[in-house]
Amino acid sequence: MGEVILEMKDIDKSFPGVHALDHVCFDVRRGEVHALMGENGAGKSTLMKVLTGIYTKDSGTIIYEGKEIEFHGTREAQDAGVVIVHQELNMVGHLTVAQNIFIGREFKKGFSIDDRKMNEEAAKLFKRLNIDIDPTATMSDLTVGKQQMCEIAKAISHDAKVIIFDEPSAALTETEIEDLFKIIRDLRDQQLGIVYISHRMDEIKVITDRVTVMRDGCYVGTLITADSTKEDIVSMMVGRVIYEEPKTKSMVPDDAPVVLKVDHLCAGKMVQDVSFELRKGEILGFAGLMGAGRTETARAIFGADPKESGDIYVNGKLVEINSPEDAVKAGIGYLSEDRKRFGIVVQKTIAENTTMADLQNYMKGLFIDKKKEKKVAQEFVDSLATKTPSVDQLVVNLSGGNQQKVVIAKWLCKNSDILIFDEPTRGIDVGAKNEIYKLMNKLASEGKSIIMISSEMTEILRMSDRIVVMCEGHKTGELRIEETKQELIMSLATRDIG
Amino acid sequence: MKKKVLATIVSAAMVATLLAGCGAAAEQPAAQEAAPAKEEAAAPAADAAAPAADATAEVGDLDFKIVVKSFQSSYWQAAVQGVNQAAEELGVKVECNGPNAESDIADQVNMLTNYINGNPSGIGLAACDQSACLDALQMAKDAGIPVVCFDSGCPDAPEGSVYSTIATDNYGAGATAAENLYKALKDTIASASAPVRIGEVNQESTSESITLRGLGFIDKFAELASADGKKVAVVGNEFYVNGAKDKGDEATADVIIEVAVPAQTTVELCATEASAIMNKSDVLGIFGSNQVAAEGILSANENLNKLGTEAGKTILAAGFDAGSVIKGAIKDGKMFGAVTQSPLAMGKTTVETLVKIAYGTPVSDIATDGYWYDNSNMDAPDIAPNLYD
Amino acid sequence: MEKKKAPAKIFKQELIVFLVVVALLIFFCAASEDFRKYTTILTIMDYSYYIVLMAIGVAFPLITGGVDLSIGTGLVCYSLAGGYMIVHMGLPVWLAMIVTILFGIVIGTLNGFLIGVMGLPPFLATLCTCMITRGLGSICSGNFGISWPASGQDGSWFRNIFKYTAGDTKIPLGFIWVLILAIVMHYVLNHTKIGRYTIAIGSNKEAAILSGINVKFYHIMAYVISGFFAALAAIAYSAVFGTVLPGTGAGFELEAIGGAIIGGVSATGGAGSIIGTFIGVFVICLLKTGLPFIGLQANWQQIVTGLVLIGSVMVDIVKKSKEAKK
Repeated sequence: MGEVILEMKDIDKSFPGVHALDHVCFDVRRGEVHALMGENGAGKSTLMKVLTGIYTKDSGTIIYEGKEIEFHGTREAQDAGVVIVHQELNMVGHLTVAQNIFIGREFKKGFSIDDRKMNEEAAKLFKRLNIDIDPTATMSDLTVGKQQMCEIAKAISHDAKVIIFDEPSAALTETEIEDLFKIIRDLRDQQLGIVYISHRMDEIKVITDRVTVMRDGCYVGTLITADSTKEDIVSMMVGRVIYEEPKTKSMVPDDAPVVLKVDHLCAGKMVQDVSFELRKGEILGFAGLMGAGRTETARAIFGADPKESGDIYVNGKLVEINSPEDAVKAGIGYLSEDRKRFGIVVQKTIAENTTMADLQNYMKGLFIDKKKEKKVAQEFVDSLATKTPSVDQLVVNLSGGNQQKVVIAKWLCKNSDILIFDEPTRGIDVGAKNEIYKLMNKLASEGKSIIMISSEMTEILRMSDRIVVMCEGHKTGELRIEETKQELIMSLATRDIG
Repeated sequence: MKKKVLATIVSAAMVATLLAGCGAAAEQPAAQEAAPAKEEAAAPAADAAAPAADATAEVGDLDFKIVVKSFQSSYWQAAVQGVNQAAEELGVKVECNGPNAESDIADQVNMLTNYINGNPSGIGLAACDQSACLDALQMAKDAGIPVVCFDSGCPDAPEGSVYSTIATDNYGAGATAAENLYKALKDTIASASAPVRIGEVNQESTSESITLRGLGFIDKFAELASADGKKVAVVGNEFYVNGAKDKGDEATADVIIEVAVPAQTTVELCATEASAIMNKSDVLGIFGSNQVAAEGILSANENLNKLGTEAGKTILAAGFDAGSVIKGAIKDGKMFGAVTQSPLAMGKTTVETLVKIAYGTPVSDIATDGYWYDNSNMDAPDIAPNLYD
Repeated sequence: MEKKKAPAKIFKQELIVFLVVVALLIFFCAASEDFRKYTTILTIMDYSYYIVLMAIGVAFPLITGGVDLSIGTGLVCYSLAGGYMIVHMGLPVWLAMIVTILFGIVIGTLNGFLIGVMGLPPFLATLCTCMITRGLGSICSGNFGISWPASGQDGSWFRNIFKYTAGDTKIPLGFIWVLILAIVMHYVLNHTKIGRYTIAIGSNKEAAILSGINVKFYHIMAYVISGFFAALAAIAYSAVFGTVLPGTGAGFELEAIGGAIIGGVSATGGAGSIIGTFIGVFVICLLKTGLPFIGLQANWQQIVTGLVLIGSVMVDIVKKSKEAKK
């Protein structure tokens, strides 16, 4: 390990309703891989976005190569040698692989772009990374995993001194991850500083030299990886939060009736021949990597995307679901992973959001019965323990966890018996997460049936009675919680379908 | 000098009107009562130069609004020029306005209503649409604001709202074009072995002036041809086909009059319609019923190169109105001839009539003539002043 | 396997549109004897120039996922301004042409600024500039129609740019110029930074920003290109039709946008072909010129053109949903 190349001191950043970073300290040395760990919403990505100038910090200092700096955008950061590999894919689908890698700094020949040289350079890059991707392929034609590799190649192609990997392995297969580690070790040996954001404990032990843990937007501490145990890190990450007891066995009696049966469902290439059953009072976990087809399956069941074939039975009866409206009528509620886009109307009040799906029951003639609306909304606020001064509060002013509760209230208000939770705790503060878990367990014990799509292994293991694993649009396994191990899920989730 | 005399007459008339107990915005019955008084008063007042100075100030208080169809063509440019000339000579305040295009009927009605709400001394109107202005005219009548229609009339206007209509006899002007065109084509038509075709491009089918011209042309041409024993049929735009006195039967006709109307009043659309007609091999003549339509025909000819003055060998084009493009084409022998109106005189007469009404002089409809002009008489003293650029 | 797909797809669209053009030509030739003439080609060409030029320009905003509705009234406004300078201020034609183009660039920049920097929705921003240019055109011309120099008058040489006249022979030279411009802009779209970033903005603006691209600048540039071409279209229109009337022009942009979309520019941005646009416009021009020949009244022509547009947008949507399913 060399000297410190990058140091962030007392970084503070607030968003409306969330104190995202609370005086966080972090440093990177030349020739090390420094893990940045924490639950979702702990502030890891935010810290890195502050570093690369996507967000402006409220206070604190950043020292890079001995000088205090502040980048005003990714371009400035890139030019200085600080490059980020984003968690979300940021590729221009209509352009080719090589065009994407060199976007913003194209090789030029006179006025025009030298595509041939870009293709050659990209090919060289891929050769160095030992990846087999055609530089002239159109980006949108590649699999998610390959797109991710392009993203990494793009980052590496900069003359980088510090590279930040933001959960790079989330969408990669085992072999791809191994290739990635080989690349990371190479880069470390070239005296680059590497930040590795992940919450996969195994990877941390394998690849990193130091670990910094964040929780709730705060800096918790930094450990030397080799000197610490997995338990040390976990206890730093979890902190004061006491989670719901992980399930060790299914809470659903064997004779519980099947409320939802999906039979050979096909909808595009992301949903191919998916069949499963959901029982009353059950939490059915859907595990898999990003882009495995879980959300697409949920959307097809919900009627949000057209399905090509397959049958859906609710309470034993065949139902025809061609639109979300049909699904809602059949008693199915869908809580989208992207609440802001699909779940709630942020500029409306809690009361208005609560009754949105069930408005016809709140009409008095042509007008909305505001009194009844507020009364019912207040009941849900009480029963779900939503933290808000009143039901007239605009949803935009609530924290992520409380927004999620409003969405839940909306579907409960509609009296939906089958709830599909898509990434229920994404972007929710660690403390609030547990409340959502509690709530889901409570709903299940009251006889609601839940499908929970989650990319967090711990969440899957903690909450599910049964687990369906998907990979590249296929269902690759179904496990009872008693027989489930993390490794088993991973191997099913990364199974090569061929 | 002229100005002073007029001012004197006018001021005398006003005094008389006041004596009769009516304001400047007199309603028609009152104005008629006042009229005889004016004639008596006029003679002595003309001699007395002294009161004129006082009265000029009063004349300056008159405030007229003129609504034209648009400012698109130089025809309107000339009309507005006439209006401004008269305003200056008479010393009255006149404001001119008009929609962007002749097809912006709603805009024009809106302008008209706004003017009525401003309660002017009188309004001059060239209506884009005969029927769209009717409600506004009723409003004007209720508010006691006299209206003078010019260029196009409003035949269905509420009784007593329009005091005078100053317009070219459009039907007659269309007929004039037909007469001249037929005269030139007569022999060719008589000797033709197969049916022949006459084209007509009209900018639209909603304004009275243009529809009358179009129909005047069709009816006259049909009449002349029938008189020579030819069967005539009218085809194309339904409005004109149904409006013609006799639409005939295309299958048996010797002379087919084909009428086209573009969807919007732009030169390039008129040109499309014109070139579709002119491309046909049996076309002998074509008539464009206003400046835009006539320029459309010339624009189409840029490619086709079929227009000329030799009957039978080239297509004879008759236009309407003037403007540098049409004048140039007639001079060069591209266009056979055209009918011109006198927009300048029309604009002037409108303001003069409004002033007369304001002082109670009885007025009636005034028909201005359409003149045929071609290469031979363009520079004649009775024609040349009407050929604006 | 994945590599040759993209170019092939675009090429296919262009080929289909080209075949549609050929089919329409054959149809009109068969249906009307009068259509089968050299002069008809001249007429079609006359109509095509200003629409093609507008379409090439508007393709760029369309590819960014936006739209430019101001090009139609803009065309008339620029042409009136230029014509006014020739007729009433005695400017030489070449200078007036430069002023016309500058005018177009200024309005284009204004659009770009409103959309790229101030963040107005393109539809709204360009609708506003559409009204502004309409009013401005009327003011520039004092509300009167203006005729650029007609053939034979002083300064009418510029008409020969588009239609070379030697005696009785007329050569539609303009076709060559617009074809060259189309090829140049096709190259610009596919092989220069401006084009590449135009696609990037339309395809994934977030990614473009995160790649450190000056998205604001390139967003503005798309509208500057659109304004510039609208001004070239203004010159073409003036050269072909001579007289420009204030208050007109609304509706021209629809023909240009229609042509671009028929030619394969995605209605939702991110993809498009300038050569396709070039061919697509001829579908519109053929309909516009050809339908009167088969005796269809003006109002019907507009309905047919509208239906053809719906058809081509549907093709775009179906294509998209198929791609999404793949």
